[in-house]
Amino acid sequence: MMPLTMANAGEEQCIQRITGRDETRRFLENLGFVAGSNVTVISRNGGNLIVNIKNTRIAIDRLMANRIMV
Amino acid sequence: MSVKIALAGNPNSGKTTLFNALTGSNQFVGNWPGVTVEKKEGKLRGYKDVTITDLPGIYSLSPYTLEEVVARNYLVNERPDVILNIIDGTNIERNLYLTTQLAELGIPVVVAVNMMDAVNKSGDEIDFHALKKTLGCEVTAISALKGTGIKETAEKAVSEARRKSFTAVHKFSDEIEAVIDEITAQIDGKIPEEQKRFYAVKLFERDEKILNSMTDIPDVSDIIASAEESMGDDSESIITNERYNYIASIISSCCKKKNKNKLTVSDKIDKIVTNRWLALPIFAAVMVIVYYVSVTTIGTWATDWVNDCLFGDEINFFGASLPGIPALIGGALEALGTAEWLNGLIIDGIVAGVGAVLGFVPQMLVLFIFLAFLEACGYMARIAFIMDRIFRKFGLSGKSFIPMLIGTGCGVPGIMASRTIENDRDRKMTIMTTTFIPCGAKLPIIALIAGALFNGAWWVAPSAYFVGIGAIIVSGIMLKKTRMFSGDPAPFVMELPAYHMPTVGNVLRSMWERGWSFIKKAGTIILLSTIVLWFLQGFGVENGSFGMVEDLNNSILAVIGGIIAPIFAPLGWGDWRSAVATVTGLIAKENVVGTFGILYGFAEIAEDGAEVWGTLALNYTALSAYSFLIFNLLCAPCFAAMGAIKREMNNAKWTCFAIGYQCVFAYAVAMCVYQFGNLFTAGAFRIGTVFAVLVLIAFIYLLLRPYKESKMLKIKSKSLQIQRRYEK
Repeated sequence: MMPLTMANAGEEQCIQRITGRDETRRFLENLGFVAGSNVTVISRNGGNLIVNIKNTRIAIDRLMANRIMV
Repeated sequence: MSVKIALAGNPNSGKTTLFNALTGSNQFVGNWPGVTVEKKEGKLRGYKDVTITDLPGIYSLSPYTLEEVVARNYLVNERPDVILNIIDGTNIERNLYLTTQLAELGIPVVVAVNMMDAVNKSGDEIDFHALKKTLGCEVTAISALKGTGIKETAEKAVSEARRKSFTAVHKFSDEIEAVIDEITAQIDGKIPEEQKRFYAVKLFERDEKILNSMTDIPDVSDIIASAEESMGDDSESIITNERYNYIASIISSCCKKKNKNKLTVSDKIDKIVTNRWLALPIFAAVMVIVYYVSVTTIGTWATDWVNDCLFGDEINFFGASLPGIPALIGGALEALGTAEWLNGLIIDGIVAGVGAVLGFVPQMLVLFIFLAFLEACGYMARIAFIMDRIFRKFGLSGKSFIPMLIGTGCGVPGIMASRTIENDRDRKMTIMTTTFIPCGAKLPIIALIAGALFNGAWWVAPSAYFVGIGAIIVSGIMLKKTRMFSGDPAPFVMELPAYHMPTVGNVLRSMWERGWSFIKKAGTIILLSTIVLWFLQGFGVENGSFGMVEDLNNSILAVIGGIIAPIFAPLGWGDWRSAVATVTGLIAKENVVGTFGILYGFAEIAEDGAEVWGTLALNYTALSAYSFLIFNLLCAPCFAAMGAIKREMNNAKWTCFAIGYQCVFAYAVAMCVYQFGNLFTAGAFRIGTVFAVLVLIAFIYLLLRPYKESKMLKIKSKSLQIQRRYEK
């Protein structure tokens, strides 16, 4: 397992778990970031990521991406 | 029978386009009670008694964002007759997540699958018959952009509304269903049967807002604890996972995807546009074009035309010459034979004052067209993403950049643009700091000071922008450390919609909505303030009696100026003319220059005030002039912008705080500049210097002190609490 920030752009990854138990995690879950979902990093900008999940592009910052383990 | 339809869906699902198509021009725009979330209602075309309410775009019915709370409260308390749920056909999986929650409310749901043109184009297939059967509600195919399927959807919604109640057909895994049944059994009879599942699920999720709205809260903590124990996760995540598992089962049976892992066009554009190296240059280029076109070319032509012709001496329209509005009204008043003071009020007060403000309308409309386009095509979301990295460093979010950018043209639309910032704290801070950036109307003041005291030195104008940017950064850091704004910056999560060409109608509609709100303001708050100022400026005690004065020095304004002038003495410009000029700047900042003209005895004055340069140079030193400039740049903006602050803050206390903060901040900075400048250039150490030192120490303390204990942002929802509906 590694945080999403370390994933290569363009490679599809499967979310293993999301760390922490707070509102941020719930928000991520509501957007489709749940264990078992596939996620692809499209582009990165200074640690912030644009990822593709469930066919939508979501921009997330580095701190959030670090909590998504793939 | 009157029918209430609630339009619900994810952000970027085409909800606004559908709403416009359903209602046409028959819309009322307002705010949801107590919050600055926009509320739109309209009558369904062709139906007099069918009202559609456009709910905010939401991803779920959880209580984590203001939009979600607002939408949920409406659905639970007002109970519309039917929910029209629009979902993005190119992204069914994520969109159905909300659908599964809406279906639990016990209100009939009609699902409209939007963007069918894009779905068909990509070769994907959706089995509508199967989808309708699995979801247990009506499903229609539409394209809001092309206008197909909308009429059928509206008819379906109206007929479904008659069903009154609705029971969700979806089921989670047996284990969870057993737990939900167990909780349902404990909910008392006051809650209608069809809503019990919603309450049971919310009880299981420990949703505090829903718990507080219930009269008898069954104690289900043991049930939750044992379920969490056996499934190894917390209750909310269990439900979320169950929903997605259920959706995955629907997708596999109802949808066929082609080209699964191919990069879409939007992905390819994003690879370039948000690229680490290219992002900023591309963004800068886009902004230069927007700014150049709307501020210096088309916008200025139109604005000059309004100022110089429409509200000037004569209208030159393709060669034909007509008298301008002041002349027209003047002629009409003369023909009517009205009293002289009334003529003065109307021409010099109302027409001149309101005209000065309306002069910005064309420029703003051009800017709004660009913004609406950038927003609708999807680039605006990328700007926020690109700028977030930089703005985060001083406590603002990437979304704060857009208001400031617009603020370089005019602060009013700038402040209004802060609406797109969802986080309450970030939005308030952006509203407070946006007007620090010199707007178009402040440029004449800069030109006046640069010309009169600095021989037109090139660095004065750029320095004004640096002062503005510096003020934003310093304020950002200072405010972030106060209790009001403390806490981690809201995590940046934002959906980036697929790039697409917006429709002309939607761009124009968005432009007009923003433009009109400004024009309305010019007609109310600005109208009133110009009348008051005209009175203060034109009346006073002259030759022993009260009346209209010939000499401005005898006016009430001069008296007031004399009283408040000493306040500005520590800033180096304690003479009453400067004080009056600053006060008139509150109507519109460019008035400062005109006021100096009048006060120094010139009737007409160029925009940069070249005529008074000599006189001004005698009354000011370079330092006091620069401190005057700083104060006028940073202090409370014009009435129009203050009106915008009030509207966007939607709260009297916050409005006062924002304007007060700006004034105090401006005063402190101007004083430091003047006093330290004097100390270093002339070695003058006075009592004022002591105060300046104290202020500087305060600044340094506020900047360097540690951040307050940070807590995650909680939505203030006291006023939003779901009312105790079942008590009645």
